[in-house]
Amino acid sequence: MRPTSGSVRIRGLDPVSEHRSALVNVGYSPELPNIQTFLTPKELLALTAEELIIPKSEVSREIKATLEIVGLTEYTNVRVSKLSKGMVQRLSIAQALIGSPDLLVMDEPMIGLDPAGAAHFRDVFRRIAKERGGTIFLSSHIMSEVESLCTSVCMIHRGRMLFNGSIEETIGNVLGSTFLIVEADPVENCLNSIRTIPGVEEIRKENDRTLELKVKPGKDVRPDIAEAVIRSGAKLFSLNYSEDLLERTYLEALKKGTNF
Amino acid sequence: MIFTFFRYEVKRSIARRKIIVLAFFTLLIGTVPYIGLANLHHALSLIPTSDYPYLWVAGVFLPQGLFIQFTAILIAAGAMSEEYEQGTAELLLSKPVTKAEYFLGKFFGGYSLIAFIILLNMVLGVVSATITFGQQASLSVLPGVFLAQAYAALLFFTVAFMIGELIRRSSLSYIFSAALFFTSTIFGLYLTVIYTLTGDVFYKHIQLYIPSSPIASLPLLYVNGSLPSGVASLLSSIEGLAGGSVESSIPFSILLISIYFAAAFIVAFVFFELSDVSRKVS
Repeated sequence: MRPTSGSVRIRGLDPVSEHRSALVNVGYSPELPNIQTFLTPKELLALTAEELIIPKSEVSREIKATLEIVGLTEYTNVRVSKLSKGMVQRLSIAQALIGSPDLLVMDEPMIGLDPAGAAHFRDVFRRIAKERGGTIFLSSHIMSEVESLCTSVCMIHRGRMLFNGSIEETIGNVLGSTFLIVEADPVENCLNSIRTIPGVEEIRKENDRTLELKVKPGKDVRPDIAEAVIRSGAKLFSLNYSEDLLERTYLEALKKGTNF
Repeated sequence: MIFTFFRYEVKRSIARRKIIVLAFFTLLIGTVPYIGLANLHHALSLIPTSDYPYLWVAGVFLPQGLFIQFTAILIAAGAMSEEYEQGTAELLLSKPVTKAEYFLGKFFGGYSLIAFIILLNMVLGVVSATITFGQQASLSVLPGVFLAQAYAALLFFTVAFMIGELIRRSSLSYIFSAALFFTSTIFGLYLTVIYTLTGDVFYKHIQLYIPSSPIASLPLLYVNGSLPSGVASLLSSIEGLAGGSVESSIPFSILLISIYFAAAFIVAFVFFELSDVSRKVS
């Protein structure tokens, strides 16, 4: 696709004018895994291997290893038309992974995957990023997914970039605070002592045993809160950062309508 | 890399089963007329026995005017458009390959299938004629006939390929391409009739330039001198039915096919190179 404006560089190369050299070692899995239904996973990966000019002597090994990573070994010779949506999604990820690219562009890779499959691929992506030291571009509408997998985030709304940076930075810049969820019983016992902890800006009672704390970013106040709860005689069940911080950040950024 | 896409296109066409259906019809066209002729004694008595060694021409040339061209259109019109509709082009082109490699591989992959259909038709025609009417003669012209028919098929193959690329909708591409072919053929027939009735060479000249003319003329012009006059006139009737013209020359037919081919090929390629490969939902 040609850009209407702006430019993209992959290792300093223009993917439009230097298509071939720019896309070497780049794996791409599209949002809709439109894979030729007459091919089998093995045939699709062999075709991809040919496109990537993987030496013939390594193709079989590469295919076997890739199908193993995505959990499709049993379906090596089954036509794509006979695979379930989740399996096709796995295959789409497989064709992006073959050849061990150091840059992966994954567009909504978890769509159609069952919870076990999604958890498996989260591990796979973390492992690839860690072991290969490469970069994974993950495009997703599932904020919790992004928050649990990514180190940097870029949010786009109607073609306009709302913010770009590390997750902590972004949350801090947009929300100006972060949120902690405290589960304790009885929760009333510890309200006053938590309120006195430096950094705690606001306390909201969610239900009989859950509190949501608005805290200043930068300092980790969790040990202080844990201590305060225990000293108050309440039982502490859990103490975590809110899991929907990125979603709140996005909504807040939309509300403010400015770049961060 | 072109060969990768060449093989891919052959496999894709075979998987669509169109090619299998077409090969089956080729089998029917190549054998049924001979079986029919051999069993219809009245019809058989109308053919001089001296023409029996040349009856392979019926099997080889009968499908050339319509069936082969229509087959070429069926293969070519979907080659690019189906990939857009199914969204599969995006995936193939997301790898370090050039658009030119993809385009050329698919073009020649599809074209190799039409060449195969022509060859199959030719072999079946000759075998059927030999079985039903005995030893066939002048078979040495067959390689040349094959080349002429294959080159002729290039014209509507490329036009349909171009239409498929421009429209990017398979069913519309089939309809447009087939309509163009049949319009040209029927128009050629009208012009032949008008010319025969009025004797006005203007109509003959127009007919010479329409795309269906050179594709009908080229293979016939090639074999014209190699066959007895009775067989040659039989071929002229076949050619007349196809709306073509034999009052041309081999170089002119080749030139005209080349011009149509080059124009359609360049338009398709430039359009493909300059446009985005995004998914079209049908």
